Amino acid sequence: MTPTIAYQFNRFLRGSVPFAVTFLLALLSVVPTGIGGFAAVTPSFVAMSVFYWSIHRPYLMNAPLVFILGILSDFLTGAPLGLSSLMLLLVHGVALSQRRVFVGKTFLLTWFGYLLVAFGIALLNWLIACLYSLTLIPLAPVMMQFILSLTVFPLLAWVFGMLQNNLLRHT
Amino acid sequence: MAPRQGTVFRLAWPLKTILQRFAFLALISLSVALLFLGKANIGVIESLRTTTTDILSPVLTTIAQPVDAFHKAVARVHKLTSLIDENERLREENARLLKWQAVGRSLAQENENYRQLLNALSDPLVLPITARVVGDSGGPFVRTLLLNAGSRDGVRVGQAVVAPLGLVGRIAEVGERSARVLLLTDLNSRIPVVLERSRYKGILVGDNSTSPRLEFLPTNATVVPGDRVVTSGDGGMLPAGRPVGIVSSVDERRIRVQTFADWNRLEYVSVLRYDLPGMSNPDENPGDLGESRLDAK
Repeated sequence: MTPTIAYQFNRFLRGSVPFAVTFLLALLSVVPTGIGGFAAVTPSFVAMSVFYWSIHRPYLMNAPLVFILGILSDFLTGAPLGLSSLMLLLVHGVALSQRRVFVGKTFLLTWFGYLLVAFGIALLNWLIACLYSLTLIPLAPVMMQFILSLTVFPLLAWVFGMLQNNLLRHT
Repeated sequence: MAPRQGTVFRLAWPLKTILQRFAFLALISLSVALLFLGKANIGVIESLRTTTTDILSPVLTTIAQPVDAFHKAVARVHKLTSLIDENERLREENARLLKWQAVGRSLAQENENYRQLLNALSDPLVLPITARVVGDSGGPFVRTLLLNAGSRDGVRVGQAVVAPLGLVGRIAEVGERSARVLLLTDLNSRIPVVLERSRYKGILVGDNSTSPRLEFLPTNATVVPGDRVVTSGDGGMLPAGRPVGIVSSVDERRIRVQTFADWNRLEYVSVLRYDLPGMSNPDENPGDLGESRLDAK
């Protein structure tokens, strides 16, 4: 028996939630907040989302989607094209290969995992950006962004968890 | 039949994994390739970028509105607490500014008279296009803004962008209805400036920090903190004499400039349509030329 079109559509909509949420976060991270100096240290919401969904719903956040999200955020932020997609793909790759470690364990472990990944990515991102522009970019905002991201991660993970439990329970 | 299907599945399963691995590696390579290609300013990528920002800029405008409303509300409450002090201060300032206005008027008139005596060419007309800031650079590596005005509004690459207090940056990319501003503070920004009093010329170099550096001054130039820095108009792209900032610190290695623009409260900015007759190509710059001919009428 083939499922009805309505069912399939419903399934598709639910399945696109991780991508849609990440896309929305990409938009939100460039909205001017009016908070002093916040633009430079805006937490990397997109990376958090990619990390979370790569662990919990890897088939809804696969490599091509991650790539598209990266390209979109590069377009939005005006960063060198390919930089975010490279970083997000690395986050995705690490999260995917280690997902057995995280799934079903305490949240603290995921948080710690995020700490390691985000720190590595922040440094690598900084290094590539420096090489790209052949100058020494101040490291302080990069580290500040990392710390802010780390602080915000539990909140975002909680929201993602809610979405997952309510919309994606059976997908 | 059934065993064969089983074999197919057993064969297909690793194939799928291999394909996924391959896609992952291919996309990583593609990203790296894009990074290299981006250095080369390829037209297709540029137009893809502007098309994307064109499509997303109305969405961003909509998202920015509630955020703006919230900030206005907070600012309002904040202002209410200091209403009396503020009023007192503004009265004093108004009295002072009225005197300055009288001085300014007489000086402008005097200047005009001298210009006529010398038969000096007047500066071309500068027409501002006011645009809303719909996006900033959500990250530590670039300092840019996204505006909701583009080529259909007359915005062109290279035009100066000013906030009420001073220069903000210049236009780096233009789409149909969106444009990206490269801020003074971005490490790719180079603005020709001049020290207002001593008339020494230099280049304002951004380095991603909030206060850009002043470089390429003549070696005999004397600079002290507090000197005002304005655009020099060299290169013909930016109007001369627009306030940029003041020198904030001077040491042996570098001179830092504190910009007048308030980076935290850039809601609306003005893009200056500016055109030196004979210096820009009318086909490349139709918006500018069409408008700046107004003063010839």
